[in-house]
Amino acid sequence: MSRRHLRLICAVALSALLVAACGDDDGGSEGTSEAASEKVVLLTYDSFALPEEAAKEFERLTGATIEVRATGDSGTLLTGALLSAGAPEGDVIFGIDNTLATRALSEDLLEPFTPDSIDRVPERYRLEGDAGERLTPIDAGEVCVNLDRSWFAEKGLAPPATLESLTDPAYRDLLVVESPVTSSPGLAFLLGTIDRYGEDGWQDYWRRLTANGVRVRPSWDDAYYSDYTVSGGDRPLVLSYASSPPVEVVFGELEEPSSEVLLDSCADQVEYAGVLRGAANPELARRLVEFMISEEWQSELPLSNFVFPVVDVELPEEFRRWAQRAEDPAGLPPERIDAGRERWIEQWRDLME
Amino acid sequence: MSRRSRDPVAAVGLVAVAVVALAVAVPVLAVLWRTLRPEDSWTLEAFGRILSSSRTWRLIGVTVAQAAASCAVTMAVGVPVAWVLSRYRFPGRSAVRLAATVPFVLPSVVIGSAFASLLGPRGLVDLRATWWPILAAHLCFNLAVVVRTVGAGLDAVPADLESAGRLLGATPPGVLRRVVLPTVAPALWAAAVIVFLFCLTSFGVIVILGGGRVSTVEVEIWTRATRQFDLSGAGVLSMLQLLAVIAALVAHARLGRGAVRATHVDAEPRRRRPTSGPQRLAVLGAVGAVAVVSVVPVLALFERSLRVGDRLGTDHWRNLGSATAGTGLVVAPVRAVATSVGAATVATLLSVLVAVPAARAVRTRSGGWGDRVLLLPLGVSATTIGLGLLLAVGRPPVDLRGSWWIVPLAQSLVAIPLVVRSVLPPLRTLPGNMLDSAATLGAPPGARWWRVELPLVRRAAVAGAGLALVACLGEFGATVFVARAERPTVPVAISRLMSRPGGAGFGQAMALSCVLVLLCAAVLFAVDRIAGGDEAAGTF
Repeated sequence: MSRRHLRLICAVALSALLVAACGDDDGGSEGTSEAASEKVVLLTYDSFALPEEAAKEFERLTGATIEVRATGDSGTLLTGALLSAGAPEGDVIFGIDNTLATRALSEDLLEPFTPDSIDRVPERYRLEGDAGERLTPIDAGEVCVNLDRSWFAEKGLAPPATLESLTDPAYRDLLVVESPVTSSPGLAFLLGTIDRYGEDGWQDYWRRLTANGVRVRPSWDDAYYSDYTVSGGDRPLVLSYASSPPVEVVFGELEEPSSEVLLDSCADQVEYAGVLRGAANPELARRLVEFMISEEWQSELPLSNFVFPVVDVELPEEFRRWAQRAEDPAGLPPERIDAGRERWIEQWRDLME
Repeated sequence: MSRRSRDPVAAVGLVAVAVVALAVAVPVLAVLWRTLRPEDSWTLEAFGRILSSSRTWRLIGVTVAQAAASCAVTMAVGVPVAWVLSRYRFPGRSAVRLAATVPFVLPSVVIGSAFASLLGPRGLVDLRATWWPILAAHLCFNLAVVVRTVGAGLDAVPADLESAGRLLGATPPGVLRRVVLPTVAPALWAAAVIVFLFCLTSFGVIVILGGGRVSTVEVEIWTRATRQFDLSGAGVLSMLQLLAVIAALVAHARLGRGAVRATHVDAEPRRRRPTSGPQRLAVLGAVGAVAVVSVVPVLALFERSLRVGDRLGTDHWRNLGSATAGTGLVVAPVRAVATSVGAATVATLLSVLVAVPAARAVRTRSGGWGDRVLLLPLGVSATTIGLGLLLAVGRPPVDLRGSWWIVPLAQSLVAIPLVVRSVLPPLRTLPGNMLDSAATLGAPPGARWWRVELPLVRRAAVAGAGLALVACLGEFGATVFVARAERPTVPVAISRLMSRPGGAGFGQAMALSCVLVLLCAAVLFAVDRIAGGDEAAGTF
């Protein structure tokens, strides 16, 4: 009799212990969010690099450290945030770009917040209306096809000079781009082609790209690091940024970059930050967004993330020399993007997948 | 009747059945609700949009075609292997049988990673974004189903019947066609339909190996929900998937009727030594096939986890202790192991607590409504459960999105049918007079359950719990929807690491996959020690 009871007690105790252990885990994470009075969590995409010096300055000013939590590509980042809207996995979200900005207005994802120093940011980067009240421009850049100059020189082939020439059979099987479903440069490029070829012509352009052997990868990392010839892949044309070439000089110990930008292919991109509704630390979140348009943060962006600042700061030498900017990049106004985006993505998928 | 109504354990059982029904209905209804009422009004917009798209039908075609192709390949390899294992006696026979079974209990993301290491950018040939690695992975994963199920069928063909056939003048092909085939046909059908079903709802393998280019309905549900934020579109596809799975399950029940289950075979069939040249060749072929299909991928996984550039080293294993920048993982991989073990343990506990009383409640009527309710979770694909759970308990008033409990909840839904399947057969064979005797001797209902029934089903319950634990450790399709970035489970962490092919995470993904293999092996070993050989695993 007593042995049986003992077994029962053991079983109950064991289950209780297990539940307690898990409870502990739960309590632990709650504990950290309490201790997070000295921590602000920045939700962002994979390839984001924290500007270290600026982050230290932020810590000195506020006593809070910035914890970067990367959750995939920008498309994945935003959808993940939308799925957890109201119970966010961080305080600030950075990496929503102009192509996805209006999607970020659904689900009541963001708290309205406008930094006091917003006037430092030129009008042309700012959004209007509801979006403008919630999203603060942080950086700007252009999504452009990059080409591997040395590859073309070696083959004795003149590199393509226009967006149209990417469909030229001379450049068959040479281009790799990102999917607009998952990747924000992919979406910016798609919108660029819609701007250039119009509602009636863009699908035909993509059909010709397909006929010419374009490869689509889900993410920028995938395309740039595993397929681009400069990183050891097999494609000398890759959809990247106007500011990618300086990266090769900074990190690659080269005298000059091997890549060049196909300026005719460039499309506009502006990236924004916002305060997440339900943030554990709304006050710190607002201070971080404010700080992201400060001199310290902005001047460090070019060499940490290879993007252009949105406020007027001095650009580093490598950038002045090697980063190119298109004079008239393609791009659609926000209201057209908002009205057409989901339909275009569906049409693109119908066409390409 | 009056006796049972006083039985407190039976009441618990009915509640448990209701819990299972509710646990399935809530996510499915949540998906349906979101699809029909995305904002504040009713609409069929999503149905119209998805069903009128040519891409949807292409996707359905591709999904069915890849499942059929995977099924054909698996049968083509599996049936001969099953034949050899059933008819011949040779050294290492049981090792070959075990090797063919092991991948079936491995998590799908692990199988995916293994084939990514063989047929990916760093493998023998780069077949990324094609169907070949996926077919190979499906073959590896499902070989066990065919070898086990068809093997049981073949073992059950009485040898006397075959000799009688020959004696009566039938040629060997004649015996095969007129004696063996009719006996084995239900097992062949059962195996084929189950493999088809598994490939139809395959998720982890395709997410890892598809490279974003190759997709199926199951993967599209995930892409739409978590990439495009098109929850109503994902919902429509979920409903289509639900119908397809139910159709496959009905086909399985019809076609597989009469299939012999391994547990029912008592006598060890007579096996011959391979004597002639062709017989030896057949044995060699079977051994070779199992080695290539089942053993090489797992070995490749371990080799890759120890490969650092051009040399061998334990760097990737040592790096599991800390979060590495550039891998896409925000926590140390060991934290994922802790999360997985904790969540899977709790999920297993939950599913045993629900499944055992529920199975007991339905044991008296085979094929009744209760039976069907308990098999319901099998019919709902993992992504539907994940998406549904996120929609059902991811919004006030019930918002568990930030809670640790949402992952074990999702996993227990996937595990419940496994436990039910394990404990139902011994419960059904429980001699009724034993309980009556206990009652006559004055044992109250609680004591009858605790002292008579429980000891009899304990073995099966432990085996079921073991399978459930392994399934929860590897669960991906539902977990990926509900696991938070700061609390990934091991499969979620692996898929995250594998999603960045250029990143430093590849080696870590390999090491983490090996950890998962070892964990599953440890669980199964422990179960084997406690509950004895588990002959039924992989038999359908």
